[in-house]
Amino acid sequence: MQRSLGRVMSFTVLFATLAGLLAACGGAASTPPPVERTVVVEATVIVERTVEVPRDVVVTPTAAPQAEGAKIVLRVGTGDSGEGLTPHLKIIEQFEQANPDIQVQLEPVGSGDYYARILTQIAAGDPPDILQIGDDAVPQFVQKGAFADLGPFISGSSYPLDTGIYLPGVLDPGQWDGKQYLLPKDFSPLAVYYNKKLFDQYNLPYPTEAWTWEEFLATAQTLTKDTDGDGKTDVWGVQLPGPWTSGFEYWVAAAGGRLISEDGSTFEGYLDSPETATAVQFYSDLYNEYKVAPPPADLNAFGGGNSEFESGKAAMRLFGRWPQAGLKENPNVDLGVVGPPAGVERANVLFWGGFGISALSENQEAAWRFLSYYVGAQGAEVWKDWALPTVASVAEASGQANDPIEGVWIGELEHLAPRAYVSTPYWGATADPALRRVLEKVIIDPATDVPAALKAAVQEAQQALEDQQ
Amino acid sequence: MARLSATRREALTFYLCISPWLVGLLLFVLGPMLVSLGISFTRWDLLTPPRFVGLRNYERMLNDPLFWQSLKVTALYTLLYVPTELVGGLALALLMNQRVPGIAVFRTIFYLPSVISGVAFVVVWMWIFHPEAGLLNLALAQVGIAGPRWLTDPRTALSALWLMSLWGLGRTAVIYLAGLKGVPKELHEAAVIDGATAWQAFRHITIPLLTPTIFFNLILSLIATFQTFTSAFVATNGGPLDATLFFVLYLYRQAFERFSMGYASALAWVLFVIILSLTLLVVRSADRWVYYEGARR
Repeated sequence: MQRSLGRVMSFTVLFATLAGLLAACGGAASTPPPVERTVVVEATVIVERTVEVPRDVVVTPTAAPQAEGAKIVLRVGTGDSGEGLTPHLKIIEQFEQANPDIQVQLEPVGSGDYYARILTQIAAGDPPDILQIGDDAVPQFVQKGAFADLGPFISGSSYPLDTGIYLPGVLDPGQWDGKQYLLPKDFSPLAVYYNKKLFDQYNLPYPTEAWTWEEFLATAQTLTKDTDGDGKTDVWGVQLPGPWTSGFEYWVAAAGGRLISEDGSTFEGYLDSPETATAVQFYSDLYNEYKVAPPPADLNAFGGGNSEFESGKAAMRLFGRWPQAGLKENPNVDLGVVGPPAGVERANVLFWGGFGISALSENQEAAWRFLSYYVGAQGAEVWKDWALPTVASVAEASGQANDPIEGVWIGELEHLAPRAYVSTPYWGATADPALRRVLEKVIIDPATDVPAALKAAVQEAQQALEDQQ
Repeated sequence: MARLSATRREALTFYLCISPWLVGLLLFVLGPMLVSLGISFTRWDLLTPPRFVGLRNYERMLNDPLFWQSLKVTALYTLLYVPTELVGGLALALLMNQRVPGIAVFRTIFYLPSVISGVAFVVVWMWIFHPEAGLLNLALAQVGIAGPRWLTDPRTALSALWLMSLWGLGRTAVIYLAGLKGVPKELHEAAVIDGATAWQAFRHITIPLLTPTIFFNLILSLIATFQTFTSAFVATNGGPLDATLFFVLYLYRQAFERFSMGYASALAWVLFVIILSLTLLVVRSADRWVYYEGARR
């Protein structure tokens, strides 16, 4: 007995120890170890390279050459993966041909681990020279000193950058405290996709610019159909993006509200304002009262996990430009795009990705040479085939600015309202989860008292804000 | 060189032999654990140097509703899952212990889900649970039942995850099966001669002899369940309305989404203490209900 118990004991202690370690590691308890592969990206290789890059690729940097007069090696961190890496590689290839003294290494980290990766690299003092981050991460990273101020480079004498080349509004998300820390890679506002097939089938005119919430609702109601009379909706008016908080900021802005005070100090009177309540109620009613939107199939998925629009079972869809390429080729959809409807205000919100130079980089000069190429007119010439171009002349020359679909997206830049994250680096840790809970609640439970739920959210967010300081 | 005594030499050989494991433990387990204990007394966002805050991270838990919610979800799920795994696994093992033709094939089939990667497994189940197009609700519709919205309804989400996990019973069952094979046949034969029914034989011979296996499975299951992560991370991300916010998922969020390394480390240590005390409790209780054949009592 004694012996067996002893054995089991040591076993137990071992397990418990392991348990603690795994817990300490952040609960990666049952995730399989990532597949590590080394991909060294070199100009000569890219030419013949196929674009397929596995999602979990981790590129381990090779040591910088030591010899005198050797190439400067720049490392570029990106959260893009798969096909999204193609434009990066293309621009890098072009740049290296024009600048033989610099070698650029792309270090992609896919599957959502990107920020964790670059943060640990920064903590270890060895981040890539150039880092790509998304809009709402900008204040947090910049405020903690992760990025170098680009001002001196932009107006510098050797490689100046004319910031007048950009479309309106696309520089703003890269700014903090009046300084430019990041430059734009790509962007997307929101818009309403519509399926002309369904509008034609039910003899309804296509929605037009400057429509209102009322017209939007009426259109959605007309197109919500129970075609086989079994009491279940077969065609939906509009597919909405579920409890997606950043997308929801459009509704608040259109209702004439905002979610946080301009100085970022309080949510009270903003997150729980009558305007916010109106927006939440209308959004909830689209799901539960008017029943023109299919309930989210997967609350956790980006955009609600619905696929009614893709399968021709929803007439409209409010979302960003990301799925557009697929929708254009989808045989179920004859695609049209129109700006989101106006409430009290004609508003939109911007989603954005950009590049900056790490404050820890030892090659900031060289990094700037590459960065200004990456996000400048030459770079935009490549990005334009993958996303909306940020440079006005490129958008004009490619015809995108006047395209019936792409022109709508670009035109939306005229209607941007500030996102909540620009007022505080703590948005994501404080009010964002609180607002998400409210949205989940009203979508799941139509009887939710919206003003009370928002009051509770303010309390929670305010408490979290205090914890941050 | 002094000659070592036999026992000393034996001890030295022992440590030499286990040194690969020992070094690994010190370097990759004990080291990080101690560091995480240190971090738990700081605020650290990875970008700026850690700042010592004493016990504040631990105090913060007391007033953190999500901490309590995650603890509640985890405890509830453990209460739900551990007994079903122990009983269900045993039932499955008893079935797999039957002498019927092709039983090896069945054993393989039941064990199969255990070798599938956690994420792939969960993604398949997400399809099964899809409210409109999912297999489960389509099957329920065949018999006239309007299935719930499973993963998107806070009332059913946790049960859905529980249902999903039951697919992995094979692993527990295989351990039971090994235990069942170790039950001596002659005891059963003697019982049958004495007129015992199948149930009596099972209750008074099989079960007692199986207690070490049950004990082992209980501890394994307890620890694993308290660390549930993959299913909630992939299928629900803690939602809807935090109905599946498991402790480790909350910890992960604090560490790798909010980058509050200090708070996350403090959470990890609380979890460690909880798991350790529960495990010790079970081990202490073993004297009362675990029997080892041939052990002196």
